[in-house]
Amino acid sequence: MTTEFSDDVAEDYKRALEDLTMNSRYEISNLTVIARENTEHALAISEALKSHIKQTSPQKKLPAFYVLDSVIKNVGTPYTIFLSRGLYSTFMEAYALVDNSVRRKMDEMLKTWKEPVPGALDTRPVFPRDVTGPIENALIKARTSAIQAQQEHTRSQQQILGRGRPGPAPAPYRETPTPPNAYRQPPPPVQQGYNSNYPQQQYPPAINGQQYGQQPHIQQPYGLPPVSRSFPCKFDYTNQEQRPPTQNYIPHNASAGSWQQAPPQQGYSAHDNSIDELNSDIANLITVFKTDFALNPLDGNIQKRLKALLDLQSIMQSQRLPPQQIAEIKTQVAKLSEASKATPKAPKSPTPIPVPAQLPQPNSLSSLLGPGGQGTLAALLAKQTPPIQTRSPQPAHNQPFNPPPVSMVPTPVPDTGSLFQKLLAAGILSAAPATSTPTPNTLLPANISGYRPPFTPIPSRTPLGEIPNDVVLKTSSLKIPRPHLISSLYEKLGAPCTQCGRRFQSNEEGKKKKTAHMDWHFKVHQRMTEAEKRGQHRSWYVDELDWIKSREVEGDQNTNNGDNTNGSGVASSSIASKPKLQYLPVPDDPALASSTCPICTEKFEMKWLDEAQEFVWMDAKKIDQRIYHISCYDDVNKAGIKRGTPEPVLGKRKHEVDDNIAVRSKIKTESY
Amino acid sequence: MNIPGLGQAAPAATFSAPTIQAAIAVHDLQANSEWRFEVAYGQSIEVKILSGTAEIFGTELAVNHTYTFRGTKSSIFTWHGCRIEVNGPCEEYMAEETPMVTYVNTHFALEKLRDDAIQNGGEGPRVLVVGPNNAGKTSLVKLLTAYATRMGRQPMVINTDSREALLSIPGTLTATPFASVIDVEQGWGSSPTSGPSPVPVKLPLCYYYGLASPEDNTKLYKPILTRLALAAASRLADDPVIKGTGMIIDTPGVISQGKGGYDLISHIVSEFAVNTILVLGSERLHSEMQRRFSAYKTRSGETITLVKLDKSGGCVDRDDTFMQQMQEAAIREYFFGDPKRTLSPHTQQVNFDDATIYKIHEANAMLSSFLPGGEEDNQQIGLYENVEPSSMMLHCLLAVMYASTRDSQETVRDASVMGFVYVAEVDEKKRRLKILAPLNTRITDRPMIWGSWPETTVSLI
Repeated sequence: MTTEFSDDVAEDYKRALEDLTMNSRYEISNLTVIARENTEHALAISEALKSHIKQTSPQKKLPAFYVLDSVIKNVGTPYTIFLSRGLYSTFMEAYALVDNSVRRKMDEMLKTWKEPVPGALDTRPVFPRDVTGPIENALIKARTSAIQAQQEHTRSQQQILGRGRPGPAPAPYRETPTPPNAYRQPPPPVQQGYNSNYPQQQYPPAINGQQYGQQPHIQQPYGLPPVSRSFPCKFDYTNQEQRPPTQNYIPHNASAGSWQQAPPQQGYSAHDNSIDELNSDIANLITVFKTDFALNPLDGNIQKRLKALLDLQSIMQSQRLPPQQIAEIKTQVAKLSEASKATPKAPKSPTPIPVPAQLPQPNSLSSLLGPGGQGTLAALLAKQTPPIQTRSPQPAHNQPFNPPPVSMVPTPVPDTGSLFQKLLAAGILSAAPATSTPTPNTLLPANISGYRPPFTPIPSRTPLGEIPNDVVLKTSSLKIPRPHLISSLYEKLGAPCTQCGRRFQSNEEGKKKKTAHMDWHFKVHQRMTEAEKRGQHRSWYVDELDWIKSREVEGDQNTNNGDNTNGSGVASSSIASKPKLQYLPVPDDPALASSTCPICTEKFEMKWLDEAQEFVWMDAKKIDQRIYHISCYDDVNKAGIKRGTPEPVLGKRKHEVDDNIAVRSKIKTESY
Repeated sequence: MNIPGLGQAAPAATFSAPTIQAAIAVHDLQANSEWRFEVAYGQSIEVKILSGTAEIFGTELAVNHTYTFRGTKSSIFTWHGCRIEVNGPCEEYMAEETPMVTYVNTHFALEKLRDDAIQNGGEGPRVLVVGPNNAGKTSLVKLLTAYATRMGRQPMVINTDSREALLSIPGTLTATPFASVIDVEQGWGSSPTSGPSPVPVKLPLCYYYGLASPEDNTKLYKPILTRLALAAASRLADDPVIKGTGMIIDTPGVISQGKGGYDLISHIVSEFAVNTILVLGSERLHSEMQRRFSAYKTRSGETITLVKLDKSGGCVDRDDTFMQQMQEAAIREYFFGDPKRTLSPHTQQVNFDDATIYKIHEANAMLSSFLPGGEEDNQQIGLYENVEPSSMMLHCLLAVMYASTRDSQETVRDASVMGFVYVAEVDEKKRRLKILAPLNTRITDRPMIWGSWPETTVSLI
């Protein structure tokens, strides 16, 4: 079952991503290959990538985005679908945090997303317009307000910069709600609820407690959408009590993985974030339940819950719910996760994840752009002219991943080449680690680009490019949504015909087929008007034996492109002028229809000729009320023999009928 | 001689002028939701997909192409969300809960079996769909057929439900290979005509049962099924593409509702070597099927996979009036074509003495249904009664068989249908029949079967 592997794959992928600290072409290619070879886990990988982008430090966001970019351009569906979900928040949140040089690169990257994949036949943009559009609009909005806001925020910059720096200034947060804090305060109630809901094995509560300890105290009334108010308050006060303010932040950073550069504190959109969190809560719960389910496949309770969760997830992903409902779902999920914690769990993956979630969730920009938060993004933009360099050294992190010998397995490198050339040319990528984004990997060898992420391949790997299909005819298997399979009914089939919706591949053969198909549509339209005048009728159904012998040709894939397509009389009269297409419509008269060639006494080969839109006898010709094989007739004529006297029609037909009966009874005896 | 088409003129006239301003509605469908609509007979609506993707029973709709629907209960489903424009009166609503995930997964599970079959040179899955009336059997069959053809397969679709026709007239049992797109506006599409068709035609092989319920005369129904299965199997053996895809078999709802019906299911399972049974909506039926087939092996030693699928919330009960209208529409379409394409049937006079007409024994049917296992006892009564034309036949349909008038009744029964004629007039004094035939050929050298299904109550002409 691939679903069980998804977690492992996602985890491995996550770890591999965490090692990606700079624009290493090799690593990015590698991550792309992994993504391509694991399309069956596309959802898990996409989620891992998205959450990595959200959670990683600003310096690492750009390389992570390049992975995203490479995956969507080189692998495409289903990643495009999964990654386009929430792309707005992923992009904008990151955008708010990175410095100007990275922003420029993100702008460039965004531009490429609005265009087709370079060199691809598909003319559609990398991401659909409705995905990139909102991002663009938000950026334009932010830029214009940046200029206006610059002045009024210069005064507060000192504070802001101090606050973003955990190192030198150990107490950046104060309880006095000063205006500059407006955009950087997290919504404490939501955060707390999130923490206590989170599955334990991934996010140890102790750490979380430290992490968010100080947050309730900088809570401020404005800048938060009203939604956050509707969330349960109990988390708020209990956590306030449990968690002493302020002091734990730095110890936590120092002890638990200082590789995460403390990001600047951020403002929160309670609504959006709570949905994101809820989504990831649900995703996590699903993971937990899947494991449980794998262990106890017969437990109906787990099954039911898993189903409910999956349904919930699809609802959450497909719709926007009113806040009340979200709150309700939230409490439900909280209950469930309590319950899931209570039940004994199987040991999950052996290696604990390096807890990226210790970081406060990045901002959603919508709060910044939202009412009350006007101009705050502008402040961010303005403020960041001196890029934040605050970071603590990170010696511990990369050590476990000391690079193995450079020439490992010769993995097929996807066609990132052209993309990279393009990006290089555009100055988006630099071959060497970007100077503007300081790299923390001073301890790593210089040939880091040859470094292969510690990704363990999964045994049940499907061949490259094939769509994995793990459905079996069992009720439980049939109920699991598999959005990636749907694409094999849509995108994977190519672009649709505008007339009938039939899809054709964009390769050579597909194009040929499509051309023939469009020709067919055209001809049918033409002939329809002619036929209307002529009058048409329903044909007799075919006889059993003819039916068995007939073959379904794709209605429009006819190699013949003659223009003598009027059927009936026209066809026979056109034989002389067009010797290529020698056929005769099957006579309507049953007596004649069962006749044979008087020369060879064999039956005529019946065929559905799409050109004529009727059944025809190929190689047949009507001469003096008798039908001959043209080849037979020509042979006889060539031999100098004029038309021989054909056998009497009646006798012939009787013979034929007897034949049919003989065959029929033969079939019949076989059947019993 | 041309008879002016009926049915086509009326809707066109009703909707030419008034609806230009009237009811153009635009609906936004979210991903994974379904727009269900009903259009009464005699009315029509136009539907256009403005953006997104949409499908009707698995057949993808083209964007910005106007589809016209008449007299139908149907639904448009979207996996990715879409916007549709609807022009015309219909009952409609939006549904977010659908069993489509299960259905599409069923398709993909079958795809896997097909891949395996092609690799091993075996036969693709023979899928039987059972369930009570109005459970969505035919819709599911259509969906699975459409998905299969979209992926380049050629499923053999078998209809064993004589109440509803597939590409033919009710009363027939058919086998049809599907290689091209299903005509969403016209149910399943059209059988061949002498002219071009905007949607590729399908080629059904028809057998005539001529009664509404299989249980009316199992002595007739079973051998016809056997014959149908044999022909389908021969085609599969000959045709590698269809062989790899397998069969999808639709059944009448009535056989899923009782003891006698279960026996018929067993008969179908053995004749068609069914190895996959999809049970729609009924727990009881599912457990009964489990009981019957859990230890069953097909002729080639395969076990039967049995799955219960949920009935769609969109299934609606079709009352007798609707069924009657559907039947009439199918008959009209056979002779006169659909709105896109008018057909011109021919009338001809037939002397009583020239016509060989067999009437299906119904008394026999009654008798045999009370005599379980009385297979041989009633043999002497015969399948059909050779009858002289009478005024009883007025407005009835006769099936013209691919057989000779001298053939035995069994041979006639096992013969496939050449076509249908409609008795327009019976002149008992002059001993003459006036019949409507799809085309102008003599049919008197063929035996004709007179069934009680479909019932025609109104004059076609």
